[in-house]
Formats: sequence, structure tokens, C-alpha cells
Amino acid sequence: MAVGNWFRVILAVLCASAAGVACAEDVDYLRDIKPLLAEQCGKCHGPKKQEIGLRLDTTASALRGGDGGAAIVPGKAAGSLLITAVIGKSETVSKMPPEGAGLTEAQIALLSKWIDAGAKAPADEQPLAAPENKHWAFQPPVRAPLPSVRDAAWPRGAIDTFLLARLEKEGVAPSTATEKSTLLRRAYLDLVGLLPTPAEVAAFEADPAPDAYEKIVDRLLASPHYGERWGRHWLDMARYADSNGYTRDFGRQIWKYREWVIDSINHGQPFDQFTVEQIAGDMLDKPTPEQLTATGFHRNTLINEEGGTDQEQFRVEAVADRVATTGSVFLGLTLGCARCHSHKYDPISQIEYYEFFALLNNCDEPTIEVPSNLQIARGELEKRTQMRAKVKELEAELEKQRMQLDEAQKAWEKTVTPQQRARLPGPVQVAYDMLFEKRDAANKKLIEDYFRETDEARKAFPVLEDIFKLKQGEPNIPTTMILRERDKPRETFVHKRGDFLDHGAKVHGGVPAVLPAMQVKREATSGESKDKARGNRLDFARWLVAGENPLTPRVVMNRDWQKFFGRGLVETEDDFGTQGSLPTHPELLDYLAREFVEVGWDVKRMHRCVLTSAAYRQSSHWRTDLAERDPQNKLLARQSRLRLDSEIVRDVALSAAGLLTNVLGGPSVFPPQPEGVYDFTQDPKNWKAATGADRYRRGMYTHFWRSAPYPALTVFDAPNGNVTCTRRIRSNTPLQALTLANDEAFVECVQAMAQRIITEAPADQVARAEYTFRLCLSRAPTAGEREQLAQLARQETETFTKDLAAAKELLPKGLESLTSTQASELAAAISLCRVILNLDEMITRE
Amino acid sequence: MSPSLDITRRHFLQDCRIGLGGMALASLLAEGNGQVSAAGSSAASDPLAVRPTHFPAKAKNVIFLFMAGGPSQFELFEPKEKLQELGGQQIPQSFVANKRFAFIKQDAKLLGCVRKFAKHGESGQVISECLPHLQTVADDICTLRAMKTDVFNHGPAKFFMNTGSPLFGRPSMGAWITYGIGSESKNLPGFVVLQSGPRGPRGGAPNWGSGFLPTSYQGVPFRSTGAPILNLDNPKGIAREEQERFIGAVNSLNKLRLTETGDGEIATRIASYEMAFRMQASAPELMDLAGESQETMQLYGVEKGKPSFAMNCLLARRLIERGTRFVQLYHTDWDHHGNKGTELGESLDKICKETDQGAAALVKDLKRRGLLKDTIVVWGGEFGRTPQGEVRDLPGRDHHIESFTMWLAGGGVKPGLSLGKTDEIGYYGVEDQVHVHDLHATILHLMGLDHLKLTFRLQGRDFRLTDVHGKVVEKMLA
Repeated sequence: MAVGNWFRVILAVLCASAAGVACAEDVDYLRDIKPLLAEQCGKCHGPKKQEIGLRLDTTASALRGGDGGAAIVPGKAAGSLLITAVIGKSETVSKMPPEGAGLTEAQIALLSKWIDAGAKAPADEQPLAAPENKHWAFQPPVRAPLPSVRDAAWPRGAIDTFLLARLEKEGVAPSTATEKSTLLRRAYLDLVGLLPTPAEVAAFEADPAPDAYEKIVDRLLASPHYGERWGRHWLDMARYADSNGYTRDFGRQIWKYREWVIDSINHGQPFDQFTVEQIAGDMLDKPTPEQLTATGFHRNTLINEEGGTDQEQFRVEAVADRVATTGSVFLGLTLGCARCHSHKYDPISQIEYYEFFALLNNCDEPTIEVPSNLQIARGELEKRTQMRAKVKELEAELEKQRMQLDEAQKAWEKTVTPQQRARLPGPVQVAYDMLFEKRDAANKKLIEDYFRETDEARKAFPVLEDIFKLKQGEPNIPTTMILRERDKPRETFVHKRGDFLDHGAKVHGGVPAVLPAMQVKREATSGESKDKARGNRLDFARWLVAGENPLTPRVVMNRDWQKFFGRGLVETEDDFGTQGSLPTHPELLDYLAREFVEVGWDVKRMHRCVLTSAAYRQSSHWRTDLAERDPQNKLLARQSRLRLDSEIVRDVALSAAGLLTNVLGGPSVFPPQPEGVYDFTQDPKNWKAATGADRYRRGMYTHFWRSAPYPALTVFDAPNGNVTCTRRIRSNTPLQALTLANDEAFVECVQAMAQRIITEAPADQVARAEYTFRLCLSRAPTAGEREQLAQLARQETETFTKDLAAAKELLPKGLESLTSTQASELAAAISLCRVILNLDEMITRE
Repeated sequence: MSPSLDITRRHFLQDCRIGLGGMALASLLAEGNGQVSAAGSSAASDPLAVRPTHFPAKAKNVIFLFMAGGPSQFELFEPKEKLQELGGQQIPQSFVANKRFAFIKQDAKLLGCVRKFAKHGESGQVISECLPHLQTVADDICTLRAMKTDVFNHGPAKFFMNTGSPLFGRPSMGAWITYGIGSESKNLPGFVVLQSGPRGPRGGAPNWGSGFLPTSYQGVPFRSTGAPILNLDNPKGIAREEQERFIGAVNSLNKLRLTETGDGEIATRIASYEMAFRMQASAPELMDLAGESQETMQLYGVEKGKPSFAMNCLLARRLIERGTRFVQLYHTDWDHHGNKGTELGESLDKICKETDQGAAALVKDLKRRGLLKDTIVVWGGEFGRTPQGEVRDLPGRDHHIESFTMWLAGGGVKPGLSLGKTDEIGYYGVEDQVHVHDLHATILHLMGLDHLKLTFRLQGRDFRLTDVHGKVVEKMLA
């Protein structure tokens, strides 16, 4: 309906009622209006409930309005949403109240008159008291007294006591402890993501000390690989990737952030500091390069570089992603729901969403250089300054030849074929597509720089060759992407229906009212605007991990629990709101949350606590008595068999093969991948498989292109890096089978493993099969398995002894000179290793 | 939500994430003694098992011919006298006030069209001379002449056409459909993507991604030369018999472990290895066109051993015949802005030539084999092109979201129908506008799915292909 139309409707109503009684008298707010609004609107827009974020129990809150803006405009009844709504003739504003007869014409006239007269109300009008929000997750965690249990011998600590009390209530017994070998493998894979060696298994099995296992756990927690394993979990949530996403998906450099995560976890940085540095490290007093690097957490958002895009639209999209990510990762709240309208289920209004948004909406997004200590010590920065000065000199000289250079460039551009064009780096392609004269300065420079490094240009202009050499010789200083708070705050508005172009009310930073208030550390000084004292990103970061925040410690402990047991105590690990599932063991969750804060947010200590529990040590075998009782294992009367994460699938194969390059940190690497991965991307990606040690790095260091990720990672459900991932799914598909069986990276593992066992294992083929089994599965085979292994070993040896040609076909390159006995022996070993590498148990925790 | 899909949903929410274990084991136990049958997979452990629809379906399969880049409706389907008349003049301000464009300015001049149009078939569908083959199936197709989308950049617009959202990482239509009703094929993926043209479509894999649905539902890209799937071929030196021996050995050890632990995930793993092995045989069989008659090859215009859009059309038919639920073909690049190689002259001729025969042949071939009634063929890009020309060296048009043309055929779509009208210069749709969300709702409807009920809960919200929009276009239904 056009604006004019509803205006006419209102006029008609006003005129009609002007003749009525109501207009003849003065309107009294307390007598006429307040009771009317309470009766007609109070159920949905009162203290109990605020549909679309609107409450009408005070005039002030009506003025503040809801998702659609102010409900009343004093002096303008005809322009007030409230009136439009109660008239109910608009196409864009729903009729209110939605049910029942609605307001009479006289009542509408009364309301209109009051608004036209300025919507006056007593200055001291107080909102009605809101009923307390009783939802469990918003209450502070309480340390409940330890319940009493009948089987006092089973619990090893508080975790077990809570679990057992529940089990006893249900009349279910916990499972027996798993075999020592299984426990060791489980702990290794959970804490460091690597296999224990057969020698480590044997030593542990032989160690009679009562604290043998605890010592192992301590050793693993101190291992640098613990930071890798748990760092990768964190990177899932940080949506880490090495490219910008969207359609062009150009590369980016932010691996320093990944390194920071690994280091922080290894150093046992308390989780509260870990959080503050990532959310607002740039705002700390004299931030260190590490603290700046930490803010990369919220720089892992996507960047759209497609020609013709509205940069503001995608900047807003990135901030919205930061809000959603912060909500999921720290608060377990589905804040994104309130972007377009007030949250349907949780007490978060759309205005509160944008108050939250405002806290994260005030930063610039620079890239900084982070030279290593070694580079600083070597004086590489100074060296580079000198080189750059020299380049500048040469370039100035070059300007004299500007005309010739331009002509040469134009001539070169004409020779570029469509195929060559397709191979130009993305941004250069964009510049190339523009007419020479029409390029803006940035694009002009882009293609100029590219051209000046081509062989033909360097041949034609020797100065270019000199410049090229100088640039090639420049020390390579890594960069990383960070946040930097702006001095002048960006204004934030409510985006009506989530549309960034449709501004509603202006808002300031703040946290949802249902949660404890945010402490603002500073007073506004006299010269400072009031905004500064309202709370900024740093206050917000501290608020996330303030002791009184009921959500963060619960959410973090629940998620770690999920990693160790396969599901959280709250199954919906990213939704602790009213639509999420209830905790299966609320007192245990609260115990963990309280303990976590009280031990100073010490994550390693909490992990030790879980790993040394009797619950964790249980067998994961299926129990028929639980099949119907507890098919999803909510009671935790047993452990779970969990398929390994995609990176770890690679890591265990590499480590069993003896190929793994155990270097921590550094830039991303390029292991071999199948041909044809980029047949389907817009721009072909650069992927030259490493040939040296980097070919065999852990999966977490594999370069991650968002538009075409490394296939062996995605096939095992690595997250896509586009949005935060707080829980990976575990699929089980034929493509996984094809990857493990046929992918070049895994074939190399099989070949290396075969050579390894020939050197290490006893010469007897059956003993060798058993050795391989132990190497990969960290346990001895059962009698049945031993029989099958023996049969397999014999069969393969026989096959390849008979068919030497087939054996030679199987051998890796460079082994042509093997004797026929050696060749058939190695071929049989390859067959054997291939079978064991493909077992379900190999890619499962146990 | 209907009971059947509710079970499916619960199955994925509760079981898939923790493991298909319980249900798979139950089905195994039902088979007796924990012995795994040759078939291995049961409906419960197979995420691609056929599941019931919400209501009787008109169609079983979809073939989506995605014309990446945005074909120009003005050169192919929409002659506009007024546009011819105003060519070279500025567009009346009333059309463009407050509009944003990717590249052109609001005052760009209108561009007339040099192509000739005629009515074709008994239905009298208007199609230009650029698509002579499509003219011959005019009575089989339903043209939507007032399509509307929301996003004007390629990447987001492709996501929008495929997933109903301009953002990265939502499930695509193929994923939603296989999630909803599974796939008939036991030897090939349920959702296959084929690609032709000089490069891949913008946006890449998320266009056929499964988003937050389990990865079993993401589109599997098939390459049209060599091995169609990554890692399909055995490693060097391993013959098929050896691979069979290998799978046998893996699975017999897995079975022992299954008996020991009782974990149904192992049963699924066993089934996966068996299917992988079958796929190794069935995928090359799919790609082997030796069994196709010379006449069929000529119908499509396929040259042996030469990858092309036409070959992909033929492969699409072969996939559908083998039970694959959703096939999507991408052909680049329709982005005719007006640079050399991207203008509306020779470049448009070239791409029409590359695609016209194959697309029309697909409709004919499906029809004569009795497959068209079960298969929805969709043709179109992520948006259309502006009535204004661009200021570039050669004739070209910018991206246009207000109106463009797509066509559908088969699977319960009304044949010979021309639906939707645009204004006199073809700027806005003025009658029977079909929004992308409506198209999605209609395709789901034809597949027997209610777009309001096909949902997946994430971060507290039930997500749909159609977001909070979409209505079935009744007029399109036969």
C-alpha cells in the first residue's frame, strides 16, 4: 500500500472519531492510555515478553520502539507505527493485536489524540518488573555437593561420582575399564593426535606403577603436539583458511595466527587471557606482536573481491559473522537469529543484537609484518630498507622511459591469448580486462607491475632486470591480518529486517540484558564523548570471561567434553538457549564450569581431570543391555568409538609409515593431491606438490583454499572454513574408501610403511603382519585376526612370488634394481600394509 | 513435517553425528548373528537410501543445465520493439532510480538487439535465431520470461540460484533433494556435477555443496575425460582382481572387529568399501559411450573423446538412467559485457553453438526414451542482462536481476507454455513473475517435497532451501 493510502485511512478514522465523545475530553495517560495498552498489547509487548523487541508498558520504551523503529512519534499519530498497527490496513505492518476484535474506533481515536498531543507521560514512569528469566543456562553455575554412591570404589574423582550417581539411579552399571593398549591409543589420539609406538604400548603395558597412566597423560599434555591437536579444534571455531573465500578466493597470509594458537595452547595460556587477546589484543596496553597476531581470530572472515561488489555489504557480512561466531563459540547462543528480527525463543531483541554488533563494528582491518626474532637479529629489515631505496632510485630512472614502457606494455597486452589471460593472477586479470586508458591508478599499477616482471619486458629494459633481481633477493618477512580499533567510532544502526541499507535506530555497544552487565573499566574523561565510557571491544572481551558470566565456562567445558566422549553434556553445543537440549548431567556440567574458573581457566588441568576419570577409561564396546535403554549413550555407561578427524587420518597414516615430518608451525604446505581438483574453480589455484620434508607435514598445515579445499580433508568432513564449526560431523562414505585406498598421498604411506616393516619387523611373514598390525592399531591381534593376517600374508607372498611382473608393477619408483626375492617380498608387504591402513580401526580412535 | 521426514531428520540430528551405529547395528542384528549380508547397507545406515516423498511426486530426477555467467534474454528470448526504438538513448529515469549495478552507471544507454526472432511450434514460443535447435522443441519446454533474483554479482548470485542464499555455505538444491528422498543409484553418487567451457563456475564447490547437511549429500564433480571421480582408479600396478582381494581382506578383518565391538559404524564402513568397489566399475561404464548409436551421437553432436557440453548432456541422460537423482551441468561463460571474447556478437554465437544442440537433444532423447515425464530439465543462469549496453569496446550488457528468462521441460512441467511478461523495454517483470525461491519451491513440489517441510535445524533455526519465502507456481504445473 502506498504511503498516501494508509494516511488517508488514518485521516478517515480520525475524522470519524472527531465527532465522537473521546475527542471532546482531554486524554489522561495514566487513566486512559496505560490501561488500554496493558490490556490490548501487554501480553506480547510487556515485561514478560517483547515481541519484535518492543515493550509498551512505559512511554519511554514505546518511544525506543522495536525492530521496526519507534512505535510512537510524539505529535504525529498518523506517522506512528502503533496507530498503523492498530488500524490494521497496512501491507507492511501487521494488524495488532493479531487476534481478537482489536481496538474500537473510539479507542484508536483516543490513542491518536494522546500521541498528537505529544504523548505525554509522567517523568518518573517505571517499567513493570520483568519476571526473572529462569532458563538454566542464564543462572550462575552452582557447585552441588557430591552425591553419595553405593559403589564407592569406582569413582576416581568428582566427575565419576556425578556420573555414577545417575547410573545407579537408572540401575545401570558402568562399563569395565578398557584394555591398557586401547586406553593409551585413545589418550594419544585425543591429546596429541598421533599414534603411540609399539614400544610405548609395550612399556605402558609392562609398567605396574599405579600412576603409570597419569604419568603418560602428563607427558602428553606437555608435548608440543598437544598444541597442534587442540589448536586444530580451535581453528575449526576460528574458521581458519588460507584464502579469502567467495568466488575469486585469492590467497591470504594468516598462518602466524595459527602458530599463535598452537603456541598459546602449548604454553598453557589461561583461557581467559587466550580469549581477551583474540577478541581485543590490539586494545591492550602496548600490545606485543603476539597479542596483535591473536586478533586474527576475527580476521578469518571471508573477503569478496569480485569486480563490482559493494564493499560495505561484505564488511557488514563479516561483522555479522563475528557476532554469530562469538555467540556460538563463547556463549552458546544463536545470536544470528536476532539479525532480522528479535529472537523468537531466547531473550535477545534485535536492538540487543545490534548493540552486540556495535562492539565488533569499530575496527579497521590492517595487515602487519611479523618478522621472526631470527630475521630481526639478522638485520633483515634494514637490509630490505636499503634494497627498496635502491629500487626506488632505479624506478625514478625508469620514469624517463615511461613512453617506451607504455608502448611496450600495450603491445604485450595485444599478444595475450585468452588462455594466457585465464592464467593471469586474478587481480591482474581484472585490470587487464579494462581498457588501457580507463584503468584507475590501482589497476594501472597492478598490471604495470605484472608486465614489468615478464621475461620480454626484462629483456627489453635492462633496468627492469636489475629491479627484478633486487626484489627477488628481498628477505621474506611474513605478514598477518589483525584488528585495529578505530579512534573515531563507526556509527551502528539497527538494520531493518537485516538489510544493511535500511537503517533503523542508532545503537551503542552493549550486551544482552539477560546476562550480567558488562563492567566498563574507565570513566569518561571530561574531553571524552559519552560513548567512550559505554564499553568497547576490550571491555566486552573481559566480560566474556568474567567469572560471573554463566555461559562461557559451561560452553567451553561442554565442548571439550564432546571431544573426549563424542557428544556434549549439552548435545546442542552451540545452543544453550531455550531451544537447545537440556544438559544430561547439569550438576556435573556446573561442577566443571566452576572448577574451570576456580583453577584459573587452566585448560590442561581440566583435560587431565577428564582423562584420568574412570568414565573416560571405560570400554567402548556396545552393550546389549544398553541397546534400548540408552542407544545414544547419554548416560555414559561406556565410552565411544569415534572416527578420527580428517587431519588425524592423514597424521596416523604418515606416522605409521615413518614419513611424518614433525615440525611445528610455519606457513601452510602443499602435499600431493589428485589431478583435476581445480577443473571446477573460477581461477586455477597454485598447487605445486612439495617434494621435500614439507610433503609429509601434519594435516593441519595443509594449505586450505576455501573454494576448492584439499580433497582428502573434506572427504573426511573437515569444516569448510566459511563459518564457525563447533562440532564436526562424522560421515562414512564410499569416497572415503576411494581416498584411503587409492589417493597418492596414502599410497606413498603404504609404500613407505612396507619398506619400514621389512627393515624393522622379523623376517617371518606372519610375524611381520602382526608387527604391522601393532604398529597401526596399537594392540595385539586377537586369535581370529591373527589367523586372517597369517592367511593374508601367505596369500600375498605366494601371489607375488609366482607373478614377479605383478610384484614389480607395485613397487615405488627407484627400486628397479631389487632382486626378484626382494621385489616379491616388498610387493607382498605393500599389499599387507594397504589392507591394514584401510581398516576401520585405523581411522578410528580405537 | 511428515512422519517419514521427521524420522530422517532425527536420524541425522541424533544418529549421524554420533554415528549411524545404533540403527545400523539393529538392522544387522535383524539379519541374524551379526553376520553382514552381501548387500551390507540397510536403509538406516545408508544416507542415500530412497525415502518416501511428502506427497506423490510428478518427477524423479532433475537435470539442471546451468548457463554460468548470465545469458542475455534480449538476444535469445525477449524481442522488445520499444528497446529497438530507444536503442542508443538514455534509459528513462523511472526505471533506474535507486538501482545499483555491478559495472554500468545509471545513465548507460539502451542497447537494441540485432538478432531475429520468430514464433515456433504449435505453442508459438518466441525464440531467437541464436538457438535453432531449441526452436525444434518449443512445444516441449516451458519458458519463464519474468524470472527474478536478488543478487547481481556472479558468485553470490550463483549461490542464490543454487542454495536460495547469497552467502557461502548453504546446502544446494541437489543436496536438499537427495537429503529429502535419497537416490535410486547404488553404484553412483546421487548428485553429480559436470563442467564444460573454458573454466569452472565462479564460487566453485559451494555451488553444489551440502552446507550444513551431511557431506554424503554434496554434489560429486565428474570430469568428462579420464577417471570421472578423484581417486577412482586403482593405484599403479593394482588390477581389478587385486583390488577385489584387497577389499575382501579389509572387510573380513572389519567384520571381526564389528563382532567384537558391536559398533554399527563398522557395518557402514564395510558397505562403503563395497560400494566404492562397485563405483570403480560403474563409473567407467557410465563414461564409455561405445554403446550409444551413431544416430544418438549425432543428435547431441558429440564427438568421441572430445569433452563438450553436448557430451555432458549425453552423460546426464546416462546418469539419470542409472538412478542418479540430480545432475547439474555447468557451462561457462555467458558473461557478455562487451570486451573482446565477451561480446554479444561472435562470442554469443560461439557459446550458443556450444550449448544449443546438446540441450535440445537432451529433451528429445529423454522424451523418446520415455524418461522426460520423470525428469525435470532446467536451463538458465544466475541472472539475466540489462536492456542498457555497456560502455566498452564492443556490444555487451551488464548483470540484470529484475527480469530474465529460463526454461524447464518434463517432469510435470506444462509443455509449450510461455509464462511471464516484462515491460516494454524488458526491464521489470510485470506479469507472472517467478522469483528464484518460487522456482525452488516448484521444483521441490514436482519432486514430491513440500518446501515448507523439508527442513534442517541449525543454530536454533529450521533452515529451508527457500529460506522464509517461495510459493509453488501453479501455472507451471501440467
